[in-house]
Amino acid sequence: MDSEDPRSNGDGINHVSKKPKLSSFITESEIREEFSHHSPDVARINNGSFGSCPASIIAAQKGWQLRFLRQPDDFFFNNLQSQILHSRTLIKDIINADHVDEVSIVDNATTAAAIVLQHVGWAFAEGRFHKGDAVVMLHCAFQAVKKSIEAYVTRAGGHVITVHLPFPVSSNEEIVAEFRKGLASAKANGKKVRLAIIDHITSMPCVVIPARELVKICREEGVERVFVDAAHAIGSVHVDVKEIGADFYVSNLHKWFFCPPSVAFLYCRKTPISPDLHHPVVSHEYGNGLAIESAWIGTRDYSSQLVIPQVLEFIKRFEGGIEGIRKRNHDAVVEMAQMLAKAWGTNLGSPPEMCPSMAMIGLPSKLGVFCDDDALKLRTHLRDRFGVEVPIHYQVPRDGEIGSTDGVGCVTGYARISYQVYNTLDDYIRLRNAITQLLHDGVTCQMLQRE
Amino acid sequence: MASLHPHNGTTTTDSKPIPITESEIRSEFSHHDPTIARINNGSFGCCPATIIAAQNRHQLLFLRQPDHFYFNTLKPSILRTRRLIQTLINADHLDEVSIVDNATTAAAIVLQNTTWSFFTSIFNPGDAALILHYAYGAVKKSVQAYITRAGGHVIEVHLPFPVRSSSDIVFEFQKALHMGKANGRKIRLAVIDHITSMPCVIIPVKELVRMCRDEGVDRIFIDGAHAIGNIDIDVKDIGADFYTSNLHKWLFCPPSAAFLYCKMSDELSNLHHPVVSHEYGNGLAMESAWIGTRDYSAQLVLPEVMEFVERFDGGIEGIMKRNHEKVVEMAEMLVEAWGTELGAPPEMCASLAMVGLPVCLGIKSDGDALRLRKHLRESFKVEVPIYYRAPVEGEVDSIITGYARISHQVYNVVEDYYRFRDAVNKLVKDGFTCALLTK
Repeated sequence: MDSEDPRSNGDGINHVSKKPKLSSFITESEIREEFSHHSPDVARINNGSFGSCPASIIAAQKGWQLRFLRQPDDFFFNNLQSQILHSRTLIKDIINADHVDEVSIVDNATTAAAIVLQHVGWAFAEGRFHKGDAVVMLHCAFQAVKKSIEAYVTRAGGHVITVHLPFPVSSNEEIVAEFRKGLASAKANGKKVRLAIIDHITSMPCVVIPARELVKICREEGVERVFVDAAHAIGSVHVDVKEIGADFYVSNLHKWFFCPPSVAFLYCRKTPISPDLHHPVVSHEYGNGLAIESAWIGTRDYSSQLVIPQVLEFIKRFEGGIEGIRKRNHDAVVEMAQMLAKAWGTNLGSPPEMCPSMAMIGLPSKLGVFCDDDALKLRTHLRDRFGVEVPIHYQVPRDGEIGSTDGVGCVTGYARISYQVYNTLDDYIRLRNAITQLLHDGVTCQMLQRE
Repeated sequence: MASLHPHNGTTTTDSKPIPITESEIRSEFSHHDPTIARINNGSFGCCPATIIAAQNRHQLLFLRQPDHFYFNTLKPSILRTRRLIQTLINADHLDEVSIVDNATTAAAIVLQNTTWSFFTSIFNPGDAALILHYAYGAVKKSVQAYITRAGGHVIEVHLPFPVRSSSDIVFEFQKALHMGKANGRKIRLAVIDHITSMPCVIIPVKELVRMCRDEGVDRIFIDGAHAIGNIDIDVKDIGADFYTSNLHKWLFCPPSAAFLYCKMSDELSNLHHPVVSHEYGNGLAMESAWIGTRDYSAQLVLPEVMEFVERFDGGIEGIMKRNHEKVVEMAEMLVEAWGTELGAPPEMCASLAMVGLPVCLGIKSDGDALRLRKHLRESFKVEVPIYYRAPVEGEVDSIITGYARISHQVYNVVEDYYRFRDAVNKLVKDGFTCALLTK
């Protein structure tokens, strides 16, 4: 991929930028341009929630949308299925799946959860699972996943076991120990655990979970199936589905993999007794396998699922490709997190090696984040008054634990900062200064209006 | 259907907008492949350039600052769409209107609810769902996935085609309803098309709904996928429990958006979107308005669509009337040219018509119909779906077995239909038969 230095005089010679051009990697200025549609007024340090999409991918997507609008029948009969198959094949290689049959493309992790859990619901209804059989989930599972469990497991007569993981956390060993304990108590009650749902990277609070180890523990403890909710994973940590060894693995491509909203893959390991999963929206493709079902769920815009080839080209423009992007994002977010923690006199919620391209930084206790509502009010205030977009987490202190302190009081609020290729130091300085300003003004969450 | 006045904030503030010109219409649809005679609006709909631009604006708003969009803009925008639909279809309560991707999704919502009733023994094994034999393929599969699998029995009602009048439909439906109830079988759900897809015919739903009520059918779901922008919809008058229609087929929305109307009842709180988010339990409309991060922009442009249709003489009513008249005129032109017949009388056609194809073309299977469609697309640049109508026992060989479903939308011109006429005439003249396509 050529990347012309925009400062060139058009004489064909690329004028030198900051360092000698040994290759044609994307420049800072080109990156700015790719994300010039982002609001320039906002310090956008929340890539984790909704992701981001470069201008060249938006343009590629538009190309696909126009092809459909131009002659939809031809597109439907002659292009769509082969293009989706192409996307699935590329994903299969990226995640190291064995067969392309194992890779389905769906809207998002929320849809994947519906697919897996609806299957559990049927198992209860059809007598393969028995009333009281259990599903294990993490206490900090994404809210949509929790509700999906309520909708399909609890409602069907299943029992739900919640495993609390520690936060703040200092090491993988802490996570492993807690998880073992949680599973053991499930077995102690004589429950048959039909499914365990484990995050690869928890959302709030954000921590990289040693998923491979937890999956192994599940197998050792006789858990029937394991579903890894890796919504944040692809593009931020190394993803190898065979290595992780789960039965189901989902990740959103629009969060950290530069795809437009929205597209995700659901990996379902092929085994002699692969469960019969279906997309809940049933089309004429019903019964042809989940991947084929998911590739046609009625007339809609599938264009976000078709730009993966263009995204891979985009990623190649970066030094080190996706690995390079991941590493630099991680290093930068840790650096920024440490800068903020130092400025505020607080700590990170987890050690750097457990941070992906996001980090949790304790907020000064004086801000008084005492409930979820406080966290939301603070987030809104940061957006409206300071133009800083960052999600705030309220960490409930666990019984008998003091948790983290900053020498003044208990740290119960954390900011989850993200770092993606478009971020700059200035974004985090703005956050640093905003919090400092609030402290200076003696502002607490209780004082903030509910908008 | 309620007529709509130009909204506050429209660019034309003082008087009625000047009617859109032919040239402006061409411009609005200039992104359509100009080499194709596109007489299949029924399958995938269409979207004017103005609306595509409006959609892009919404998309960019999200990409620009997604958090702000999510917290401050998305919900009120979807609410605006729901209010417009409520007015368009004459629903009593806003809560009755949910926006979903398409009719296929609406079917999943209604049918999954039925599954739970079987699970929890509110319904018993053998209780029935009733569908039309001509029900859309996805609906049939949905019934298999959610009802048959749950132990329900499926009754398929065969309706005549070609059809002479609505009373033929009413008669057959009545028969099937009685037979279905034989041996005390309970019919829990009837799924009735408002306009069947293939073959395409307007069904007298109001009468059929009344019949179902009289016969004690628990719930009635109208699949009106083609209906909005095609014929009038008054959900109160129709009286069904559920009604769905696609906004991207005949109401100029981009792919894809649809509404699902659910009449207010105690049952309403049990209906859920199958994709569960944190909104679970807040009502179907709220659940459907957030099913995870995705592009909701197609659901947000209905206000701009209403402005667009107001540019036409008579608004959406005028568009519907002219589409209907034109498609009937073109259909009659074609049957005269080919010496064939219409599949249904004009009053049972909306903006679509079933036109008999010459028997000599030898359409003898669904495969033939599909191959002929492909041949027409590739060799004649005509896009039109073909329906294979299997001969019924006792019918003579000269019976018409192939029908073309022609559509007319505002972008169509007579040349589209002349090209189709000439293509078929050439095929006949060349002694073409579908058997040749399988060689």
